[in-house]
Formats: sequence, C-alpha cells, structure tokens
Amino acid sequence: MARKTQQVEVRMISEYLLSAYAEFPTIKAVPLGKVDESLMATQGYQRAIGIMRPYRPEVDAIVILPRYLILIEAKVWNVVNGLAKLPLYKSLLHFTPELEKYRGREILMELVVGWTNDNLEIMARDLGVKVVVYSPAWLEDIVAKQHNYWTAEYQRERQRKLQMRELLGLE
Amino acid sequence: MVLQNYVILDTGIPARVHFTDHVIEKRTVTDPRLGTPTTRNVLVFDVDRLNGKEVTAKYSIMAEKHAGQFEAYLSGQLYRGYDFIITKRGEGFRTNWTVEAIPIK
Repeated sequence: MARKTQQVEVRMISEYLLSAYAEFPTIKAVPLGKVDESLMATQGYQRAIGIMRPYRPEVDAIVILPRYLILIEAKVWNVVNGLAKLPLYKSLLHFTPELEKYRGREILMELVVGWTNDNLEIMARDLGVKVVVYSPAWLEDIVAKQHNYWTAEYQRERQRKLQMRELLGLE
Repeated sequence: MVLQNYVILDTGIPARVHFTDHVIEKRTVTDPRLGTPTTRNVLVFDVDRLNGKEVTAKYSIMAEKHAGQFEAYLSGQLYRGYDFIITKRGEGFRTNWTVEAIPIK
C-alpha cells in the first residue's frame, strides 16, 4: 500500500507542476539541508552529497520563480503530515548547497491535496501555507475510496476481499 | 555516460538531457530474487542532447516512480519543450531521482 501511495503522489505532483507552472523551472524530489563540510573536504562534493542522502529529508518539488521559490508537498493520504513538513523544510532551504544559487529569494509554501476541509485550511493559514486542491478525474476515485474507508459498508467489503484472498491463497 | 547508445546515469552525477520522442515497450526481465522472467513496461525516450552535446541515444526507465515524474509530459510530447536535469541517488530499491525541468525559451 505504501508503494501505491507514493506513485499516486508522484503523478499528482508531476501533473500539478505542469498545469500550474509549465513556464518555470521546477525540481522534483529535492533533498534538503546541510552536507557535512568535513565530508565535502575529504570526499568531494558529489560523494559527500551521496553519503549524506539518508540524513536529508526530501521535498516533493520546488518551483523556481524570478523572485520566489515555492516549496511544494503533494498529499492524498496523511495531508496533515504534508502540511507540518513544509515549515520544517523551509528552515533547511538556506543550508542546502544544491540551492545556493537561489538564496535571497522569498520562500512560499504550497500543499497540494485532492480535497480539503476547514480545519486543514485553518492550520495552513497559521503556518503560512497555501492549500491547493488538485483533483483530476483519476484522483477523484482514490479520494472517494479514502473518504469511504471507515464506513461500515467499505469495511465489510474489504473484509470479504481479504477472506477471498486468503481462501485463494493469494496472500 | 552513453553506453551502446543508452544513457546510463552515474549515482550523484547530474545529467542534462533533451528528449525528442518516447515509446512504452514491453520488456522481459529476470526477477533478481526469484530468477524467473517477468514482463515489465519500460518508458524509453529518444535523446538528442546530453550535457550540451548532440547524441543519438535512448534513456530507458523501468522504475514506476521515475516514470511517474515524466508522465504528465508524455501527452502531446510536452517534454520536447524542456531540458531535464536528472540526478540518480541511492541504489537498488531505495534509488530515487531528482528531476529538474527547465523550459526551453
């Protein structure tokens, strides 16, 4: 399930960037934060970046505008996680060597979601994050499933499917 | 690096490419764990520029995650209007790709 989640969000961010920022440079899956200077001195820049990879979080995308950088997270599930990450990621931008040439630009933050609600909007406003609803037809089915997940009907159907899988030896 | 007309990315080294065409091929590969053949969809781009030099090469993508980064550009061959800087990071199942899309003015 985790793997499926990631592919949906990869497609979502890719489409959203093209629909909203086609004329601007964009970077997808961007590692953020410091790279140890002594490591850079001993191992070289590229190798040090490689070694540091597990210790650097990754933002879904960055859009490079003439005066701004926009940090973007796309979430279908765990939308609050995506929202909470953005201000933390923002704090790392100025320490990210790969983005050094963009320093001095103002930082904006966007959370791209398949659906929103009042509480998400309130939290986002408080954190200075813009919530963007991006919901093409292919995503609507996924969002609907998510909304139905905790209903008795969905759980009964899910239980039936799981039993069938076990019966057929598919697990 | 271009090897036998295929662009092979070195881990951590960004490569700037321009694509002119694409095809989705079915390819039979051997599952590394089970040793059995399996059929996979592979997204293959024709590359005409690599790091500023003209080439005739292909860039082949088997990972669904990496292919997804280009999915939105396939319709109408929108990728023709961009240069992409691709940086491969990590190895095996934990491989990830940072993809920078730069509109060609």
